[in-house]
Amino acid sequence: MDTKNLNKNLKRLAEISEWFNGRKDVNLEEDLKIVKEASILIKESREQLKEVENSFEEIKKEIESEKEVK
Amino acid sequence: MKIDTENILSVSDYLDLVNGKLEELSAKIIGEVGKVTLDAKGHAYFSMRDEKDNSVMSCIMWASKYRMFGIKLEEGMKIIAYGKPNMYKPSGRFSFVTETLEPAGEGELKKKYEELKAKLAKEGLFDESEKRPIPDYVQKIGIITSKQGAVLSDFLSNIGGHGFNIKMIDSRVEGAEAVADLLACINTFKKQDIEVLVIMRGGGSFESLQAFNNELLVREVAGFPVPVIAAIGHDKDVPLISLAADLGVSTPSIVTVALNDSWNKAELHLERFTKGIVSGFESVLTNQKFLINNAINIFTVGFSAVIRSIGQKLDSTEQLVQANNPERQLKRGYSISYVGDKVIRSIKEVKAGDNMNISVSDGIINSQVK
Repeated sequence: MDTKNLNKNLKRLAEISEWFNGRKDVNLEEDLKIVKEASILIKESREQLKEVENSFEEIKKEIESEKEVK
Repeated sequence: MKIDTENILSVSDYLDLVNGKLEELSAKIIGEVGKVTLDAKGHAYFSMRDEKDNSVMSCIMWASKYRMFGIKLEEGMKIIAYGKPNMYKPSGRFSFVTETLEPAGEGELKKKYEELKAKLAKEGLFDESEKRPIPDYVQKIGIITSKQGAVLSDFLSNIGGHGFNIKMIDSRVEGAEAVADLLACINTFKKQDIEVLVIMRGGGSFESLQAFNNELLVREVAGFPVPVIAAIGHDKDVPLISLAADLGVSTPSIVTVALNDSWNKAELHLERFTKGIVSGFESVLTNQKFLINNAINIFTVGFSAVIRSIGQKLDSTEQLVQANNPERQLKRGYSISYVGDKVIRSIKEVKAGDNMNISVSDGIINSQVK
């Protein structure tokens, strides 16, 4: 579970969102480039988040079963 | 024993034979002391007289023994002397070599006892302020007693099972002869690693207890390096050794009470502390379990919320990105016009003759402003 990468991606996405919200001029090529980058990052981040969520569910199950035993 | 007169013996050989026989005649003799002489080395030369028929016997007591018994021989004193006869070869003199000495009759004994008691009391040997407390949690105990008597088994059956390390030296405890034994035992224990010394004997007559009134012995007890408990059974007159000891009692069971006491109290405290510690720890454990379970709940709920929040952010970022995706706008029929690199938003930004590039969804239209 590479949360470092997920964090990096989320940080970059936040920068992109800020950029979109703050820019004055439209530049087709640049906009396209950034949109493509953002799409890839979103896809990766969703996959990574899913991995984290799955690991978390396993840990939760373990903790719950230990609680029952005790 | 008949000597073969065919054999002619020398004086020395004959006297050796005589002394051999005399060795067998150890006895306790009662008599009145006659003239007493002490030589330069402290050896005592005296005579004993039989009151009935005035028979007289020459006696000698070597200095070490004479000092041990602490009895000052005086003419007219009635004494009981234990020893054996001997012919002193250099002078041919018959002597009764005295091993032990004691005043004869309870009256004499009592008188000596009171005199010595007063003398030692004056020196402070019996002062309460000099008594050392019996240490708590004693483990190493030295015992001087007779292994024949009942006191030892009485002591051993009453002493608790607190892991005591007991060293015992057997000693005579009866009569004047016991003094040498008791002194030797005390000297041995001085070199042993013990925390308390116990000297015990059962009850008996005043005469039978007189070893425990011996001056040397009493001084040894008073000056012993560790506390001393004297358990000497007695009637009226407390043996002087009991007065000099740090604790003087009359039975072995009282000795065991003194030695067990601190251990018994400690066991009681330990029990109480154990209960307190166990119940205290149990409540700490219960508390910790509660905190851990609580933390688990907070953690699982919190982390789920974090995952949800990141998911929602990704959704909204995606919406923003799609909304700003130029391809999407162009597909809807919008176009973007450029003059050079500049995006044209108003007619005011162009003039006639400008070359304008119009980006549509599938390419660029080159045009000119008219």
